[in-house]
Amino acid sequence: MTNLVYRHNPITRTTHWLNALALVILVMSGFQIFNAHPHLYWGSTSEPDQAFLSIAAANDDGEVRGFFRIYGWQFDTTGVLGVQNTEMGPAPRAFPSWLTIPGYFWLAGGRRWHFFFAWIFALNGLLYVIYNIANGHMRKFLFTAKDAARMPAMALYYFRIRKASPQEGEYNPLQKMAYTSVFFALTPLIILSGMAMSPQLNTAFHWLPAMFGGRQSARSIHFILTFLFVGFTFGHVFMVLMTGVLNNMRSIVTGWYKEKGSDFPEPVWLQGFKEEMIQKPARVSVSHQLPAPEPEEIGPAQKTHQGRADAPQQDSGIPKSATNDAQISPENSQQTLPIHKNEAKKDIVE
Amino acid sequence: MNLSRRSLLLGAVQGAGLLLLSGCEKAFNSLQQNRKFLSLLESAEGANQHLQRLLTGKNKLAQEFTEQDISRYFKPNGNPPPITMDYTADAAKQWPAWRLEISGSVKQPARFSLPELRSMPSRTQITRHDCVEGWSAIAKWKGVPLTEIMQRVQPTPEAKYAVFHCMDTDDSGAHYYESIDFLDAHHPQTILAYEMNDRALPIEHGAPLRLRIETQLGYKHAKYIRKIDFVASYENIAAGKGGYWEDQGYEWYAGI
Repeated sequence: MTNLVYRHNPITRTTHWLNALALVILVMSGFQIFNAHPHLYWGSTSEPDQAFLSIAAANDDGEVRGFFRIYGWQFDTTGVLGVQNTEMGPAPRAFPSWLTIPGYFWLAGGRRWHFFFAWIFALNGLLYVIYNIANGHMRKFLFTAKDAARMPAMALYYFRIRKASPQEGEYNPLQKMAYTSVFFALTPLIILSGMAMSPQLNTAFHWLPAMFGGRQSARSIHFILTFLFVGFTFGHVFMVLMTGVLNNMRSIVTGWYKEKGSDFPEPVWLQGFKEEMIQKPARVSVSHQLPAPEPEEIGPAQKTHQGRADAPQQDSGIPKSATNDAQISPENSQQTLPIHKNEAKKDIVE
Repeated sequence: MNLSRRSLLLGAVQGAGLLLLSGCEKAFNSLQQNRKFLSLLESAEGANQHLQRLLTGKNKLAQEFTEQDISRYFKPNGNPPPITMDYTADAAKQWPAWRLEISGSVKQPARFSLPELRSMPSRTQITRHDCVEGWSAIAKWKGVPLTEIMQRVQPTPEAKYAVFHCMDTDDSGAHYYESIDFLDAHHPQTILAYEMNDRALPIEHGAPLRLRIETQLGYKHAKYIRKIDFVASYENIAAGKGGYWEDQGYEWYAGI
C-alpha cells in the first residue's frame, strides 16, 4: 500500500540543500580562517597569555606535538589537531587539511569562500523563512510555552521510558525547540557575531561587538556557535537515519513522504526498536476521550489514508498530514487512531 | 551478529567518509585554482563593501577606548623593518633625512619633514587594531589627519585613491604598498601616526610614519611610509590589485 503525502514544498527542498552546502563550506572555510590564529579570548583584545582555548603545536624534546588546550586542560591531539602528519613529516596546523577549505594553508582563500557562502547562507535562509512564514508552515514548528511543558515527557518518550508520545501536530516539542532555536536564535546570533568582527560595521554600531562582550568575545562565540550548528546537523542526520532514511531522503528530495509501512528495507538493529513502538499505542493527542481500538484495526484507517492520498492532486502545495486531518474533522480521529505504525514513525521523523 | 553487522556498517560509513573528504579536499583545491570560480567568490567583496558602507554611512567613528584598555602586547606583524643603511642611519638620528613625499594628481606636490608633520594639527585616538589573522590589540595613536595633508596638496578631481608607498620589503624585494579611496581618506580617524602610546613610533610598528585607518583591517595600515601618491587608478602599480596583500589574493576592501 503506497500512501504518499506531499510534505516539503520546492522552496523548502531547494533551500534545505543549498543551506546544507553553504553550512559545510562555511564551517570548513571558517576552520581555515581560525588556523591563521588558533587561539580564542574573551573581551576586546587578545593578550597572548589570556587565550582560553588554543589548538597549536609545541616542541616536545625535538618532537613536534599537536595539542588542544582549554582553560589549562591540555590534550595531546597530534595527527588531528595542532599537528598533521603529512608526506613531508609532521606539519603544525590547528585544523587538518581535510577539514579546511582550501586544503592547504591560505587565509585569503578561506576568506573568499567564507564571505561568498555567508551571502548564500543568509539570503537562502531569508528566502526560506519568508516563504514559510507566508504560507503558514513556520507556525507548525514554532516553539511555545505549551511545548516547553511537554519537553520532559517527549524526552522520556524518546528514551523509551514513556510509552505515549505527548506530540500534537506535525512536530513534537523537542523538534519544535530544535528548529525554533536554530532559526530564531542560532542563525541570527552567528550572523551578528560574524558582523561584530567587521571594523567597518563597528564604526556605526558600537553595540555590535559590545553585545557579545567585545570583538574577541564575538570571535569566540562565532566559533562556539559553529559547533552548535555542527551538533544540530549531526543530531538531524542521526534522526533521519533512525526514522527510515530512504523515505526521509525521498521527501526532502522529491517532496513525497510515504506514510504507511515502508517497502524499503531497514537495518536489522532498528527493528526491535520499531516493533516495540508498533505494538503499543503511541499517541494520546487527538483521542484522549476515545477508547483506543486494537492496533490491528487497520481497515478503516486505510480509507483515511487513501483520502489523504488525494493531497498530491491538490494544487495548494501545502503539506497535509494525518494529525491535521484528524484535528480538522474529529470524526476521523477514531479512524486515524489505530495507525500506530505510522504514528510511531511520524513522531520522530525529521 | 547484530554487533558485527553494525560494526561493518560503521566501518563502511567511516571509509566512505574518509574517501569523500579526501575527494572534497582535492575538489575544493582545484576550484580554488579555477579563475572563473575564484572571480565568482570574489564578487562577494563588492557586495560587502556596498552593503557595509550603506549600513554605516559616512564618517562614523570607530570605538575609542581608555588608557586602561591599552594592550600590554601589540604584535608587530608583516615584513621586518627596512634594513637599508639609509633607513637605519636616519632612524638613529631621529629622521633628519626622511621626508614624506606627496605626488601624483595634486595641485601642490610637497615634501614634509617629521617636525613639519608634528607642527600640523594632530589627532590622538585609542583604538582597536584588528588583524586579518583574527587577533586584536588596543593602542594609543597620535598623528596628523590625512585630510590636513590633502588640504595642503589639493588633489585634483581625477584623483580617486591615495596610494601609500612604503620602505619595507618582503623576501623577494617587493615593496609594501597600500591604497584607500577618498571615502576612507576623509574619515576623521584616518591619520598618519608618528606616535604610539605617547612615544615616538617604534621601528617595529612602522617608524617614522604609519597609516591608521580604523574602518579596515590591519594590513591596510601601511607602515614605513615614504610617499603618498594620489591617483585615478591603481591598476598600473605592482600587480594592480591596490596593495601588497591584495596582489596575493586578499580583499582590497578590508572592512570585514
